[in-house]
Amino acid sequence: MNAPTAHALLRKEDQRLITGTGQFSADAQAVGMLYGHVIRSPHAHARITHMDVSAVRTAPGVRQVLTAQDVQAAGFGDLPNAVQVKNAQGQAQTVCTMPVLAHERVLFVGQPLVWVVADTALQAQDAAELAQIDYDTLDVVVTFEDATAPGAVQLHPQAAGNTSVKFEAGDRAAVDAAFAKAHFVSDIAIDSQRLVGAPMEPRAVWAWHDEVRGMTHVHTPSQGVGGMASYLTHITRWDAAHIEVHTHDVGGSFGLRSSAYSEHALVMLSARQLKCPVRWVGSRSEVFVSDWHGRALRLHGHIALDAQGRILAMRFENQVDAGAYNVYFSTHIGARNLSITMGGAYQVPALHMSSHIYFTNTVPVSAYRGAGRPDIAYAIDRLIDHAAHQHGWDGLAIRRKNFIPPQAFPYTTANQTVYDSGHFEAVLDHALRISEPQGLAQRRAQALQRGSLLGRGVAYYLEASGPGGAAKDQVRGSFDAQGVLSLHALTGASGQGHETSFAQIVENEIGLPASAVRYLAGEPEQDLVGNSTGGSRTLYGAGSAIKNLCQQLMTQAKPAIAALWACGEADITHAKGEWQEVGGAKRRLRFADWIASLGAQAAQVHAVGEATSGMTFPNGCHIAEVEIHIATGVAEVAHYWAVDDVGQVISPEQVLGQVQGGVVQGMGQAFGEHAIYDRETGQLLTGSYMDYPMPRAGGLVRHFHHETHAVPTALNLLGAKGVGESGCSGSLPALANAVTDALRQVGAPPIDMPFTPAKLWAAIQAAPKKP
Amino acid sequence: MKLNLTLNGTPRSADVPERTLLADLLRDTFGMTGTHVGCDTTQCGCCTVHVDGQAVKSCTMLAVQADGCTVTTIEGLGADGLHPVQQAFSQCHGLQCGFCTPGMVMASVDLLRRNPTPTADQIAEGLSGNLCRCTGYVNIIRAVQQASQTMQGDAP
Repeated sequence: MNAPTAHALLRKEDQRLITGTGQFSADAQAVGMLYGHVIRSPHAHARITHMDVSAVRTAPGVRQVLTAQDVQAAGFGDLPNAVQVKNAQGQAQTVCTMPVLAHERVLFVGQPLVWVVADTALQAQDAAELAQIDYDTLDVVVTFEDATAPGAVQLHPQAAGNTSVKFEAGDRAAVDAAFAKAHFVSDIAIDSQRLVGAPMEPRAVWAWHDEVRGMTHVHTPSQGVGGMASYLTHITRWDAAHIEVHTHDVGGSFGLRSSAYSEHALVMLSARQLKCPVRWVGSRSEVFVSDWHGRALRLHGHIALDAQGRILAMRFENQVDAGAYNVYFSTHIGARNLSITMGGAYQVPALHMSSHIYFTNTVPVSAYRGAGRPDIAYAIDRLIDHAAHQHGWDGLAIRRKNFIPPQAFPYTTANQTVYDSGHFEAVLDHALRISEPQGLAQRRAQALQRGSLLGRGVAYYLEASGPGGAAKDQVRGSFDAQGVLSLHALTGASGQGHETSFAQIVENEIGLPASAVRYLAGEPEQDLVGNSTGGSRTLYGAGSAIKNLCQQLMTQAKPAIAALWACGEADITHAKGEWQEVGGAKRRLRFADWIASLGAQAAQVHAVGEATSGMTFPNGCHIAEVEIHIATGVAEVAHYWAVDDVGQVISPEQVLGQVQGGVVQGMGQAFGEHAIYDRETGQLLTGSYMDYPMPRAGGLVRHFHHETHAVPTALNLLGAKGVGESGCSGSLPALANAVTDALRQVGAPPIDMPFTPAKLWAAIQAAPKKP
Repeated sequence: MKLNLTLNGTPRSADVPERTLLADLLRDTFGMTGTHVGCDTTQCGCCTVHVDGQAVKSCTMLAVQADGCTVTTIEGLGADGLHPVQQAFSQCHGLQCGFCTPGMVMASVDLLRRNPTPTADQIAEGLSGNLCRCTGYVNIIRAVQQASQTMQGDAP
């Protein structure tokens, strides 16, 4: 074995994660710990006619059984819905919130119904088998057509037509006028099918109640303790000062871990009532039917162009499946995230969008990597590609003609979004340059010899990175006697490597080695303000606050350095963490050496850094070459090139890792992933990893090439734009355009994701031309 | 039911219900929480450990089946320092959230035992029983290649 050396590891997080000593929420054990289990609805839509849990209560080891009545008696409210909008007539959205435990009716398979707590997890599970629950099953709706059909069964009495809201954004009249005078029009409807987010760590939570402080401690994966605490306060209606959320290692999140779920509230209630620590760990089968699902969107795009191919207007008509209830971000996705960049990277004089948010007997939908951004980026690019081919233009020429030019920034879109910076044509050219366009004909011929159709897809995406809900981001920094800087903030990582990137920012700013910096996320620092991780914003949000912190530390140190050198403050300057005497002996002193020399006095050097960061617009060009095997319909990505403008890059390896991961998640959606519900029964047919095709090692992409093309933003101190979600936004249109191009060679029309072997094979078989 | 095994080099014994899974024995009884449970259908491989030197998904083996066996978990892999596979996973950025990593590492070590110089395709096939949601597998495959070179004595 090689002797380990700390610096041989790439990230600060890695030592514990590669040795199995990380702290995931299901790893905790505590004396007297009890275990919760949820009895879930086996039906998609039913009235509960009879419920008898007496045998559960008397089963071995059972400590508590809670039903909806108990949760109500505790004064708990429903799960939060983050955003409420109005329709075009100014009427408020019909919001139907989800109860912690179902009462009287169940609206989706997997909905929590009864909570059982026992001495062991197995006892709780065994006891749950004894519950006697009778259901009167009702008709189910799982599609837009069924949900909105006249006479369809109603999920919520207050939501006529199973409609939550018909939201509109943009200028309908201007778009109508533009279409009336257009020389060319095109339209295409695309599905961004329902997905299961499936972070590898199943959802878990444990809680204990500290009687002395009156504090309930909740340990759970989250994207930031502040957001989680506020949702738990909303549900439990307990005093916020009596809830402390702790997040340690998080095994992937992708938007799903930003929410508080029923099990969080139930664990907290039991921990308080039973005066014992209580833990719940979801099985994969459970979280397939209870973690919020993602996407579930259908976007119908229309484009109007003049005779020269200039875009006059775009319109989108969206169907937004909220699932059974309005939870968290489905409205935010359907209303805000789809509309905010609906013109993409293009100059579009008129824009309009309508989003019909509707209910179905399915798992509620919320954020999944990109949360509407990849979907609209996908729809825009498919629409432009489709229009170009329909009217016989070169797809790249149309994009170039309509790009917002670099001199137009800051650019205000027709629906009042302000893009701060970008150089789209330069990024496009960069991607084309590295993507070997000249050998395409030969590669197509070679593929054909192997029995495959090779399609090439070029896509340009632009997305909005999140400004965040909090007004600013704060980071507290303080030194210990060894000169180690501890950073505290609210935002939490789930694989993004904040501990490493934040330390790199400190190293860049004040020269403190990364080994002398530690980041403590998820510690309840309730006197700090800040955002959770989301919208790809953390690196520049909290990162800017760290840069500000470093600047304050240098300012604080200045009088001490001047005193040390017995010179005036005007006589010293600093750069990259080193003090320099301007005149005199031209002495130099590194900040790191100075802080180390202070010993215990270093504790007096501390500050709270803060920054307000604006919304940024990561963008890029992704190019894919997909080979479809004619005899089997199996698709493989032969080449993938991505050039992203994510602004200034702090940690190149981690940026590449984010793009690779995001692109492969996009491949998962493009080629297989689909949460499929049976239309008659509302049962989830893809309810485990055995029938939900997660991307696996190999088989998907042979050559992956990524470069960045930074056009820095002035909207945050680091000039960074965010990278976490761009891989999904770029890959969906690039892969779909490539598949469409391949099918076009045999005269087959475009088809929808997922491009499964069965669908591709059938499309090629039905095509008018033979390969 | 009583059982005895050697866990990470130490003789251990336990008395557990017959239906206890090996993964639960390792985590709950012996506190080896580096063995993660990511699914309940033997698909994800997060719980991969070595039983008598071979990679096994410990969620699909009963604890009592390990009676008399030698079991190695991620905690016992690098008894005298980090294993080259562990180092390579970090150096190649083959992990992000780290939840799948212990299983990936244990599966990779067994893969390299069976085939010390695998091709990229052989690595992909060998790890197709281990799911990762973060990395897109690109750097995982690179990591196993690097570990293979290191273990062959070629500095990467």
